[in-house]
Amino acid sequence: MWNHIEQALHDSMGRVTTKVAQLLPGILAFIVALLVFLALAWLFAALVKRILIAMKFDERVGRSSGSIAELSPEYTPTFLATRLVFWGVVVLGVLVGLSAFEASSAEPEVAEYIFAYVPHLIGAAVLLFAGNVLARFLSRSVLITAVNLNLQYARLLALGVKWLVLVLTAAMVLDHLRIGGEIVDLAFGILFGGIVLALALAVGLGSRDLVSRSLERESVRPTEIPTEERRLRHF
Amino acid sequence: MAAIELPATLQKRIEESGPVDLVIGITGPADAEELRAKAAAGLKGIAAKAVVAYAGSAEAEPTAASTDGVQLAAYPMPENKASLAFWLDVAAAQRSVLELATAWQARACIVMHNDLAALEPEALQLLTEPVLEGKSDLVMPLYAQGKYDGLINKSMLAPLSRALYGKRVRSPVAFDYCAGASASVKLTESGTVSGQSETPLLWPANEVAMSGGRVSQAAVDIHHEAQTDGLDLSAVLTELAGSLFQQAETNAAYWQRVRGSQPVPCYGSVHFPQSDREPVDAKPMVESFVLGSRNLEEIWRLVMPPATMLELWRLARLEVEQFRMPDALWARIVYDFALAHRMRRMSRTHVLGALTPLYLGWVGSYTQEVGSATVEDADRRVEQLARAYEEQKPYFVSRWRWPERAS
Repeated sequence: MWNHIEQALHDSMGRVTTKVAQLLPGILAFIVALLVFLALAWLFAALVKRILIAMKFDERVGRSSGSIAELSPEYTPTFLATRLVFWGVVVLGVLVGLSAFEASSAEPEVAEYIFAYVPHLIGAAVLLFAGNVLARFLSRSVLITAVNLNLQYARLLALGVKWLVLVLTAAMVLDHLRIGGEIVDLAFGILFGGIVLALALAVGLGSRDLVSRSLERESVRPTEIPTEERRLRHF
Repeated sequence: MAAIELPATLQKRIEESGPVDLVIGITGPADAEELRAKAAAGLKGIAAKAVVAYAGSAEAEPTAASTDGVQLAAYPMPENKASLAFWLDVAAAQRSVLELATAWQARACIVMHNDLAALEPEALQLLTEPVLEGKSDLVMPLYAQGKYDGLINKSMLAPLSRALYGKRVRSPVAFDYCAGASASVKLTESGTVSGQSETPLLWPANEVAMSGGRVSQAAVDIHHEAQTDGLDLSAVLTELAGSLFQQAETNAAYWQRVRGSQPVPCYGSVHFPQSDREPVDAKPMVESFVLGSRNLEEIWRLVMPPATMLELWRLARLEVEQFRMPDALWARIVYDFALAHRMRRMSRTHVLGALTPLYLGWVGSYTQEVGSATVEDADRRVEQLARAYEEQKPYFVSRWRWPERAS
């Protein structure tokens, strides 16, 4: 009995060692490819940076359109372009490494699976980045506008917008990564439906008097500017 | 870059008529007949050969020949497609008028608001005489303003322009002014950079001061009806302050060398309107400031150094009656926002939007200070603020050169 167990353990150890030995050249090939492409990425990024600085790219982009600066003001267009080139080459290195791994190992299905998943990863990363930038931008916009409109609950409003965009982004990212499947869609639908229902109930039942008083105030509000404000001329 | 494409008929007229003494350009549409009548009466003895241009189509021009030495000309209104902003439209129209005057080789060009308030003999004489007699290259208006008029200008535009460009001009951006031939060319070229989607605001006094031209002021008794009715205060502030901050960024090499300021010659006697001795309720303005300090702290911290934030924190805790914003603090706040606009620490729209509650805080403080004062006293108060801007300028220069060094 004990001999059988010992034999089984020996066999499994042997199989695992053989498997690792088979995978090792592929892993080494992957690491070498990645290192080479990291060096290339650094080189390309430096080259692109030099060219863009010589072309006065930041000034040109800043003049023609403010959209990049508006959404991501702490990074210059040159910095963003350089980063894009760097990570583009790194991703290319990962793909080449995977290809080398596939060629030198006897496990083509692993590489195939990863190859098929890489576009989803890239898409999810882009979505996550864009969602974060958008959430911060919209949150600040709402906060400033609400404060300038003298709304007491400005911060709450801004926080609401920020989390709304972040939750939406998270749902999109998970969907893109094919994680959670229909649970994410369902949870998202229930969450949003719940929020809308809660608001409708709050307005319809709990805050009925408050809303009607607010509407009454709006309807009887004089259309003329108050005398105090009329006396001040900002320009 | 041409602000307008002159129609062939107008170009032909310019060639046929030859150089003129004066071009009066109305920066908007106007009734041609009313214009002719008012111009003929107002221009007597001022200019022998004058052209009055207004925005409109050539077909609408009166066909009757000129019998009073005043020619009428319609110019196409420039289309500012990129923006619906009021002041940018005014600036585009002013550039067109100046370009027309340059094409006509006019000795002087009056840029005028289309309410025609400045088309009066006295105002025309005060604006044109220094230019036609060669005493000045640019005459800016010194409007008769009350204590509570032109508050954005008093708090920010005029003192900042004075501190940066060294000329004590009360209205650096105005609806009416007169430019000589060389100044017209300079102003037409200013701020128009190829590739830009929209033309920026025009700051005539600052531009002419930078080119070494002679700037003067004319005390004119003109009142324009509130131009910002229906416009959002935050949007107006963003547009005006943003433009001045942009100009400061473009001309940083110039203003860093300017020390102090010089008075400019003033023609005519200053008209002070009747004193409004009734104080304004500052509570809504102070409350807006307090609301801003409670909610925008995170944004303000990115713009202003800790010392300024501490002072604002103290101010926000004062009772309305005790609320006073020191001049030095306000000047530093404006300088910090100009720097943040340049540094793009966040979106420029956000930077300028976050300035509104601070501006309302200043308004709240100012209205309480001048509430029972005469217009003359309020004027002296504004002069004191302008001096504070000059005194704080080294702080701005230092932060501009070493922005990461917090003071």
